[in-house]
Amino acid sequence: MPLPIEDLWAVSPEIWLAGLGLLLLVLDLFVPSGRKAIVGWAAAAGLTLGLVPILGLVGVTPRTVFFGTYVVDGFAIFFKIVAVASTVLVILSAMDVLRGQTQFEGEMYILLTFTALGLSLMAGSADLIMVVLSIEFVSLCSYVMAGYFKADRRGNEAGLKYFLFGAGASAVMIYGFSILYGLTGQTSLYAIASALSGAPRPAVVVALVMALAGIGFKVSMVPFHQWTPDVYEGAPTPVAAFLSVASKAAGFAVLLRLLAVAFASAPVDWITLIAGLSAVTMTVGNLLALPQRNIKRMLAYSSISHAGFLLMGVAAYAGEFAQGLLYYILAYAFTNLGAFFVAVTVGQRLGTDDIPAYAGLGERAPALAWLMALFMLSLTGIPPTAGFVGKFYIFGAAVQNGLIWLAAIGVVNSVIALYYYVGVIRAMFLMPPASAGPVGQPAALQLALGITGLGTLAAGLFPQPFVTLVSAASLLLRF
Amino acid sequence: MTLGLTHFLVLSTLLFCLGLFAMLTRRNAVAILMGVELMLNAANINLVAFNKYVAPGALNGQVFALVVITLAACEAGVGLALVMSAYRNLETVHVDEINVMKW
Amino acid sequence: MGQLAAFIILSVVTLVSAVVVVASQNIVRSALSLIPTLLGIAGVYILLQAEYVAGIQVLIYAGAITVLILFVIMLTEHGTGARFRQVNEQVLPGTIAVAVLAALLMAVFFGTAWPRAAGTLPQYTATSIGTTFLTSAILVFIVTSFVLLVALMGAIVIARRER
Repeated sequence: MPLPIEDLWAVSPEIWLAGLGLLLLVLDLFVPSGRKAIVGWAAAAGLTLGLVPILGLVGVTPRTVFFGTYVVDGFAIFFKIVAVASTVLVILSAMDVLRGQTQFEGEMYILLTFTALGLSLMAGSADLIMVVLSIEFVSLCSYVMAGYFKADRRGNEAGLKYFLFGAGASAVMIYGFSILYGLTGQTSLYAIASALSGAPRPAVVVALVMALAGIGFKVSMVPFHQWTPDVYEGAPTPVAAFLSVASKAAGFAVLLRLLAVAFASAPVDWITLIAGLSAVTMTVGNLLALPQRNIKRMLAYSSISHAGFLLMGVAAYAGEFAQGLLYYILAYAFTNLGAFFVAVTVGQRLGTDDIPAYAGLGERAPALAWLMALFMLSLTGIPPTAGFVGKFYIFGAAVQNGLIWLAAIGVVNSVIALYYYVGVIRAMFLMPPASAGPVGQPAALQLALGITGLGTLAAGLFPQPFVTLVSAASLLLRF
Repeated sequence: MTLGLTHFLVLSTLLFCLGLFAMLTRRNAVAILMGVELMLNAANINLVAFNKYVAPGALNGQVFALVVITLAACEAGVGLALVMSAYRNLETVHVDEINVMKW
Repeated sequence: MGQLAAFIILSVVTLVSAVVVVASQNIVRSALSLIPTLLGIAGVYILLQAEYVAGIQVLIYAGAITVLILFVIMLTEHGTGARFRQVNEQVLPGTIAVAVLAALLMAVFFGTAWPRAAGTLPQYTATSIGTTFLTSAILVFIVTSFVLLVALMGAIVIARRER
């Protein structure tokens, strides 16, 4: 059976990303050390151009390609845009950090490019083998990037811990998938969906729980979240930003596709299970974030609690309504990347990640401080920021689908979260600076900060265009 | 009594649980990795056995198993590199001694 | 009957050496007994008519991965590692948890009516696997090569010293 040529068009974004990665590998050979930022700019430009084939697929008829192993639909396209765009921003923020820290600067940009490829593949996988392969693709790159600064003891620990947790979680997930294969005799998610409706319940539950272990690890869902604070603190800050946004978003793409397609008619109530996990995840993340003094650890626990909010969107994904989840991911991507980029700037210039070091930032770097305040308010969910609209939509979706108790827990958690987010704002504006002098920012980082800040404001003030975009993207091919 | 699917499932369950036990109790990062390899092998036994008894029409299970073996090799390569780089700096590979950051 | 006897022998070899892998206080002994475990599993694959998977298992698992693990142990544990305590304080809770899980999984597996199909596998699976990889699993095949590339790159970057 020959491969239809249209199938190659359907994966043109992936072909572009793969080719770009290989080209950068060759380019890196010819760029002298000390000028490796060229590779970074080339990667950023190439990835930005990679948005063109992705946007070219917008409005495509949802269908499976490559003999049912891959799928193109609005849902996958949305997550590809998020993956590629956040990779570009992370590369921009990483340039200043990597310079002089490692002789393998060029390889980091190449790894990030390939990771964007892996994330795109995660968004479109329609086959158990492809799901495992693309998750491992991203994981392997992430382990390496987390342990990238080999001279830093915390970096070593981050890389090793991330690897051990990740390898264990994916082994459990693969075992769960093997049970799923045994129950259906199929590896395609769409074929599994129809075969699973008559399957015996206990085995389906075991398969689901084991599969959730692997994916829950990637999105840092409680109880698979323990690695998150250590890895975010120890990894280079841009990598932490990348893990908290791009990997997490792609993990949710896989999770939702697996549940909404393969487990659609399975004899197991996954909506209640996910709703329960959502409540636990957002509460645990929030409570552990309260006493943190390190900005990266605080953002790590806050990202766990946001995983809980996103799980609420997954649980509320009924019928044709993925908008809550998708809008939240969009808002979260802008906001959290921005917050991490401020942490990158401060960490680079002041050499510390402690929140008390942010004291007096309002005087020393007003623009930076105001941006950070904006991101903190957006993470809390206060208007007129993107986070508010995201929370509004996700709570709305939950209420609409009869999960009022979950929405109530979400509201309570948002109020608790206000405490630690406002703590940062208080340090920046109300506490006296420890030392005087302005805090400089490199151009690439300014660009990244500007884009995320603008996005956070725009998605909060003018939500309508974004809502239209998200509604167009919420189409998930089910059968 | 003839050889059937259940025999293979029992073997794979025991192997998976032994691997998980190594993950939970071992201090040495390399030993934990060995536990992960046992778990992956257990999954592979499942996949190949189901391929024969449940879905002999296509070779998806065996293809899946081959992919898992490849991924295990990749994981071992990257993981052992991380172990080496951690050992150079921290002078230990025992995970309960590796806590520069508080849990 | 002959098949069942072969299976029992292979299982005993696999499980006994797997117990040594997870329980031995000498890390080198653990790593070495990984070899009979993996070879026993290769034998199980042959019983399941998966001779190609069995061959790959011997080459990659029993050959490459085990040697890699042994090398790293030699480099990091001052030779044998016999001087170090190898287990943490979670042996008892770990044993209980794993035993419960094993019982649970067995109960589920025995209680499940697997959808057995009557057909037979091809006589030699190697050619069919090749055909599958180049037709219906072509995307899997291509992506696997990229995964190998990034793993290679990542391992080199991490294992090399900074100048």
